[in-house]
Amino acid sequence: MIVECQNRNRILRDAEPLELAALETHASTCVACARELTAWSAISAAAREMQKSWESPALWPRIEKALAQQMNESRHFARRWRLRFFAGPWQMAIAVAFLAVLTTSVAWLVLHRGETPIQQDSRLLTDSALHEVERTEAAYMKAIGKLAGQARPRLENPASPLVASYREKLVVIDAAITELRANIEQNHSNTHLRLELAAMYREKKETLEAVVREE
Amino acid sequence: MEFAALALPWKITMAVQSAPREQGLPGIDEPANSASDARDAAEAHRLAEARAADSALADGCRHGYITAYEHLYQKHGAKLKSLAVNLLGNRHDAEDAVQETFLKIHRSVANFKGESSFSTWVYRILVNSCHDMRRKKLRRQESPGEELEPAAAHEPQAPKANPGLRLTIERSLTRLSLQQRDVFLLFEVEGFRHSEIAGILAISEAASKNALFQAKKNLRLMLTEPYSAPPTGPRTCP
Repeated sequence: MIVECQNRNRILRDAEPLELAALETHASTCVACARELTAWSAISAAAREMQKSWESPALWPRIEKALAQQMNESRHFARRWRLRFFAGPWQMAIAVAFLAVLTTSVAWLVLHRGETPIQQDSRLLTDSALHEVERTEAAYMKAIGKLAGQARPRLENPASPLVASYREKLVVIDAAITELRANIEQNHSNTHLRLELAAMYREKKETLEAVVREE
Repeated sequence: MEFAALALPWKITMAVQSAPREQGLPGIDEPANSASDARDAAEAHRLAEARAADSALADGCRHGYITAYEHLYQKHGAKLKSLAVNLLGNRHDAEDAVQETFLKIHRSVANFKGESSFSTWVYRILVNSCHDMRRKKLRRQESPGEELEPAAAHEPQAPKANPGLRLTIERSLTRLSLQQRDVFLLFEVEGFRHSEIAGILAISEAASKNALFQAKKNLRLMLTEPYSAPPTGPRTCP
């Protein structure tokens, strides 16, 4: 490999072993390049002497102590962070919200404990209303029974075709009442059945009144 | 004054860096350009072992084993101290920098992705720690009553072949740019390869070679100045 003086800087920069060897060969015949290489080598040789070595027996124990302390602090920090995570502001907000919901629910239950939940299903009667209806119904049946007692002689011996038809009508009404009562036995709280039964009683009462009034 | 005139009494041999460097970081050395296959295989085996050891050391540190840190100190402590003292100028600061390096390793080892070798990463932390300490010292120097020691000055040394030239270089290093000084110290003093320096300083190999060339060229110019000439700040390379 042929090396010229103008290649010197590039070769020194690239530091390719083959090119450096060629430059050394060239320097044996070139004073300028020899001077530069000598200076270059002198710097390298002196630099190698700058490597410093000294005993420091206290250094590793010091580092070890500092490391152990830092590791401890890291562990404590992690623990503190976990605690803070579970006791942070937003966790507190969630806890407060939960308590608020709980308190409201309990208060609502306490305040609404005495109310009848009729509005939930108007077709269903509560126990107290049912007793009242049954009591009224019994009284109504008793009154109708008295009226039926007054009308019975006329119905047994109908004086006119009209009374006879009234008798037929009352048979149908009684059949309907029997059927409704049977259904009510299955479902005591069914308001619709109770209303139908009340209508049948009313119809029976009006029919009996008509029989009693018939001359 | 011509450099050759200065150089003659120091009996310099023509030993340009043409041979492969003997020193270097375990685990990231380049394969030796050897003619023998057996030597290549042995080198490859040695490199694989070194990489495995490096990786095991990183794992140990990641798990917080003090013994791993101790092993790291035994393996690299001397070189870390030497580099630090040349960057900071005194042993006390150098030892502080080494300690800070170990603490930073512990704090950051979880983020070490293994893109470079663990050793390279450790030296990068040291260099950065030294730069931080130096900057802090410079800031303190601005406050009255405190004076900054020149880097690599007043360090007692065992008798060497060229103490005069060494002292002159140490003094002149402060006039180089930060990157030139770092590359010079890593390559010429500590014996790292350019590939390793590239990893430590996060630069390219070409940039490392160029910085070294510029550093030596600037030093060459500074060394031709009379010894009495006071430093006048960074110079640009012609």
